Amino acid sequence: MVQIEKLYFTYPNYATVLEDLTFSVPKGQIVAILGANGAGKTTLLKLIAGLLAPDGNLQVLIDGKAPLELAGKIAFISEGGTYFNDLKPKEYGDFLQDFFPSFDRPYFDMLLEFFQLQERPIKKMSKGQKAKVEVAAGMAKRTPYIIMDEPFVGKDMFTRQDFMQALAGTLTGEETIFITTHEISEIENFVDRVIILKENNLVVDVTLDELRQEGRTIQELMKETVGYQEHSFCSLLEKIE
Amino acid sequence: MLDFTQLDLNTVEPVYTQINEFVKRQIFLGKAKKGDPLPSRRELATQLKINPNTAQRAFRAMEEAGLVLTPKNTVSILYFDDDLLLDIQREMTADIVAEFVRRVKENNLSLDEVMILLQQEWEKGAEE
Repeated sequence: MVQIEKLYFTYPNYATVLEDLTFSVPKGQIVAILGANGAGKTTLLKLIAGLLAPDGNLQVLIDGKAPLELAGKIAFISEGGTYFNDLKPKEYGDFLQDFFPSFDRPYFDMLLEFFQLQERPIKKMSKGQKAKVEVAAGMAKRTPYIIMDEPFVGKDMFTRQDFMQALAGTLTGEETIFITTHEISEIENFVDRVIILKENNLVVDVTLDELRQEGRTIQELMKETVGYQEHSFCSLLEKIE
Repeated sequence: MLDFTQLDLNTVEPVYTQINEFVKRQIFLGKAKKGDPLPSRRELATQLKINPNTAQRAFRAMEEAGLVLTPKNTVSILYFDDDLLLDIQREMTADIVAEFVRRVKENNLSLDEVMILLQQEWEKGAEE
């Protein structure tokens, strides 16, 4: 359970980035944090992960504790990848096993098999295969909280779909996930809830169930709220294909 | 094994409803039969790129609808009685008719005109 109450954040010598945010996320929920560039999405993720400290005290609580007290319970999965390029997947597993006490080696090996990854240096893999290594490594850390900041940046449509498939195949349903992305179409059928930030504030907080009851899509919601669609040209091209 | 890769999810209806409808359609089309095994929840989530809680919810909905049986410690199978099969057949046919009526109404056709066209088309099919 993540509780955020009256969260404010200001960068030094900078305008306020987040203003009076309040929401809570129950265990197992997958939440998309959306908004235009500069709306404060990444800042919010960093605050949840304890990488930044809010103005004032204890405005972010995870299972009743400050994020910094939860070291090892929060995983980042990033598009850049956190693996070592020269290592083969199992060698990378050896490293992670030494480094992270909670690393689940059998699970990691099972995921490598599941993704049909061959034992060769990661740098020689395709983008989609690299994404699978990253997901396997992130998931095998077995953390209850997972934070993904723009996991699709620089990935083509097939790689994005591989990534989503990898993710869908490795979750247990117990994990609480925060994800930011501009690739709305990839997450329409994946997330449980959408939070939209605009001009430092939380302007939309809706579950997918509520949204579909109203017969609306996340894409439409973004258009109404933020006023424009990023990658609108790309989605047009996808429709033509 | 029921193959869900054919299911193209839309972004308007709830995912679990779409899964439920897809299974009913497979049964209606004779592509799925009583006793056929279903993929595991994880396999379903992977095939459709949905989150595992949604897959779980879809199974629960299908169990509640009397479509799926999950015996302890084994895979879920399709299981339905004859009444449900009749319901599915009626529902699927009603959907086709409703769609047809909607479209001919859009084309400003009267019921009499449609009946004549329907008769002609039907007999054409019989001759072939």
